[in-house]
Amino acid sequence: MTNIWRAGLQRGGIELRHLLRNGKELSGHLTNVVVVLLVAAYVSDDVPGTRTPMAHLMLAGFAAYLLFQIGLINLPQTLVTEREEGTLLRLRATPGGIPAYLVAKCLLVVVVAVGTLAVLLATAALLVDGPLPHGPGDWLTLLWVTTLGLLAVVPLGAAVGAVLPNPREALALVMLPTMGLLFISGTVFPITSLPVPVQQVAAVFPLKWMAQGLRSALLPDTARTAEAAGSWELPMVALVLTAWAVLGFLLAVPLLRRAARRESGSHLSARHRKAVQSGALPS
Amino acid sequence: MKPEHTPAQTVVHARDVRMTYGAVDVLHGVDLDIHRGEVFALLGPNGAGKTTTVEILEGFRRRSAGEVSVLGTDPERGDDAWRGRIGLVLQSWRDHRRWRVAELLTHFATYYPDPRDPAELLALVGLTDQAARRVDRLSGGQRRRLDVALGIVGRPQLLFLDEPTTGFDPEARHEFHVLVERLARDEGVTVLLTTHDLVEAERLADRIAMLVGGRIRACGTPAELARRAAAQAEVRWTADDGTSRRERTADPSRLVWELHQQADGPIAGLEVRRPTLEDTYLHMVRREADGTGGYADDGADGADGDTGEGNTDKETQAA
Repeated sequence: MTNIWRAGLQRGGIELRHLLRNGKELSGHLTNVVVVLLVAAYVSDDVPGTRTPMAHLMLAGFAAYLLFQIGLINLPQTLVTEREEGTLLRLRATPGGIPAYLVAKCLLVVVVAVGTLAVLLATAALLVDGPLPHGPGDWLTLLWVTTLGLLAVVPLGAAVGAVLPNPREALALVMLPTMGLLFISGTVFPITSLPVPVQQVAAVFPLKWMAQGLRSALLPDTARTAEAAGSWELPMVALVLTAWAVLGFLLAVPLLRRAARRESGSHLSARHRKAVQSGALPS
Repeated sequence: MKPEHTPAQTVVHARDVRMTYGAVDVLHGVDLDIHRGEVFALLGPNGAGKTTTVEILEGFRRRSAGEVSVLGTDPERGDDAWRGRIGLVLQSWRDHRRWRVAELLTHFATYYPDPRDPAELLALVGLTDQAARRVDRLSGGQRRRLDVALGIVGRPQLLFLDEPTTGFDPEARHEFHVLVERLARDEGVTVLLTTHDLVEAERLADRIAMLVGGRIRACGTPAELARRAAAQAEVRWTADDGTSRRERTADPSRLVWELHQQADGPIAGLEVRRPTLEDTYLHMVRREADGTGGYADDGADGADGDTGEGNTDKETQAA
C-alpha cells in the first residue's frame, strides 16, 4: 500500500516536471490566463446595480471556468491519449499500477488547478487590480469551493475520458458543451441577464455553482444583490457540487475499469481486422 | 504428448479452454502445458486465436469455459502479487513517450518487491547510451528493447513476448535472441512467445505449438514437428539424360546410397531437403483451409504415405 503511494507520488512528480518542461502545453495553460487578463483590463463598467467592477465578476467566473476546464477538458484528453498509447494497459499489467496512476493524476490535477488559480488571481491583483479574498472567511470559502469544485468535475472528467473514442474526437465532443456552459452559467456576465429557462438549465450543471461560490469568496458582500437569488446561496453551492462529485465517482470507477479492460480488446480487434484484410482469415 | 516434467514445474496449464464471442467460437478447446524455464512458441495464422489465448493466460480476458492455471493461479483471480511474477512485452505499446529511458525504468522498478537494478538492465538490453534520451526519440528496435527491459524489471518468472522482433534489423534481432536465450537459460525465466517468424521460433523455442482454427494442431520440439508433418525428405538430382528428378522418402540416406550405387560415382545436382518448420506450418494451415481436419489426429504420418502428394499439390489446392 505504501508502495502504491510512493509510486503514485513519484509518477505525479515526474509528470509535473514533464509538463513544466513542455513549452507548448504550459503556454496553453498560460495563454488562458493572459486572455482573461486582457479582457479584464478592457472592461471598465460596474456590475449593474452594484459598485463592483464587472472585471471582478469576470475574473471570478474565469477562475471557475479554468478549474472546470482542467477537470473536463484537460483530464479526459490525457486519459484518452494515455489509453490509446497503452499507458493504461501497461499499468494494468504492473502490480499496483492503476491505483498509482490515479494517485499521480490526482496530484497533477490539484497542482495544476491550484497553480493556475494562484497565477490568475495574483497576476490579476498585480496588473489589473483584480479581486482577492477579504479576511479568513473568504479564504476559507475559496478553499472549499475550489476543493468541492474539483471533486465535482475531476471524477466526471475521468468518466468522460474513459468512454470517449479517441483523442481527435474527444476534444470536439467535450469542447462544445463546455463552451456552451461557459456562456450560460453566468461566468463572464451576470446570469440575471439571461432568460430564466436558460438560467434553470445552467443551474443543473456544476459550473454555475463553482462561479457563484468563487464570486462569494472574491467579491464584496454587497455584490450579492446582482445574484439571481439576491444571495450567494452557499448551502446550495455545496449541495450541487457534492451531488456531482458523488455522481462522478459512481460513474468513474466502473467506467475506468471497463476502459482498462477494453484496451486489450481493441488490440485484438485491430489485429482481427488486419487479418481479414490480408486474407489470412475467412471473413 | 507425454509430460516430461512433474506438475509442480508446470508454469502454464490450460485444459479445454473455449472462447465464444457472440455466436462465433474463437477457441474450441485449447490444451497447453508449459514448463519452467522453457521457451515456448505459439504459432498460427492471424485470427487463429493466438491473441485470445495469450490474453486469457495474461488475465486480460475472461474465457468462456475451461480450466487455466498460470503460476499456480487462475488468471481471472490474479492479484498484484501474481501480476508481479509476470512480465509482458506487447507489440502495440507506444506509451510514456515524454519520459526519459532511465527515468521510466527506474520508476517501474518501484512497483516490484525485488526489482533488477535499472542501470544493469539498461546494459543488458544495450540501451546504456540512450539512458537520458526521450522514449519517443528511440528507434523501433530500441523501443522494443526498452519494452523488454520494462517487462523483466520485476524479475518475472513468466515472460510473454508478443511478436517481439517485428521491424528489427537482422543484427537487432540476433541480439534480441541472445537476450531471450540468456534469460531462459541463466535465470530460468519461462517464456511464451507468439510470432509469425518461423525462423525465430525454430531458433528460440524449446517447444512449439501450432494454433490453427482455434485448436492446438500440433505441439512438440521443432524437430518433432517437422518430422510429423512431412515425414518424407525430398531428394533432388539430375538424371543421366539431363532431366531433373525428385523423390520423397522417409529414408533419404538409403535413397542417396542406392543412387550412388546405380551411378557408380558422383551424382549431379544432388540435394537432400529435410522438412522444415515452414513446411510443417504451411501444411497444417492449408489442411485447415481445405477442411481436411486436424493434423494432430492423423498420427505420425499415415495419411501422407503416398509420395506423389507433395507441397506443390497442396499449393494448387490452396490457391
